[in-house]
Amino acid sequence: MVLLQPDPFLNELTSMFEHSTEKGTVWVTLKRSSLKSKVQRNKMAAAGEPLEYRCLIRATNGKKTISTSVGPKDHQRFQASYATILKAHMTSLKKRERKDKKKVAGADKKEGGSKKPKRA
Amino acid sequence: MVYITSWDEFVERSAQLFRADPDSTRYVMKYRHCDGKLVLKVTDNKECLKFKTDQAQDAKKMEKLNNIFFTLMSRGPDADVSKLQGKNRQKHNQGKEGEGNNSFVGC
Repeated sequence: MVLLQPDPFLNELTSMFEHSTEKGTVWVTLKRSSLKSKVQRNKMAAAGEPLEYRCLIRATNGKKTISTSVGPKDHQRFQASYATILKAHMTSLKKRERKDKKKVAGADKKEGGSKKPKRA
Repeated sequence: MVYITSWDEFVERSAQLFRADPDSTRYVMKYRHCDGKLVLKVTDNKECLKFKTDQAQDAKKMEKLNNIFFTLMSRGPDADVSKLQGKNRQKHNQGKEGEGNNSFVGC
């Protein structure tokens, strides 16, 4: 398990997505963690020090795992870059054409029942 | 393992799950480009909520959910995500009730 800084992590994540287009999966896990062991946590709690939590992000393609941790100050910048990477790579999901093309016989509109058909 | 069909319900319950136990709740995303499928899972090791999709529009919604989780996890479970969730709901409702824009007044 490789622990990286946020920026190299994003680069590695990008290459993971690129390598798994034909075959393979990318898993990304988000969890809150203080990155300290239980012993340290108990000590800090006893001493009255506030625990500092960070967001732990892990990514794997089944073979390799990378991770990084993001604190409250850098999380907004990280989430913007992360969103960009996801948007750029999640291209194989189906696009819905609802209001754009009424001419389409409704075959596409019926897919994905989360939005109701508008034209009654 | 429960697959939730409604996105809003998934978001609500995941946020609740996280607030109830922030230390053991985790959010997992699995993406397979070759199948064009995306699966989201939120679990606290006792209960598990899942959401699967193959729709591009859900990827956009997932980005908002990512923002919510990033904020909750790095700032703490008491962080204010009402702006993030509020925007989500307003857009969603406008999408549903497109005929009369005046029918839903934002919270």
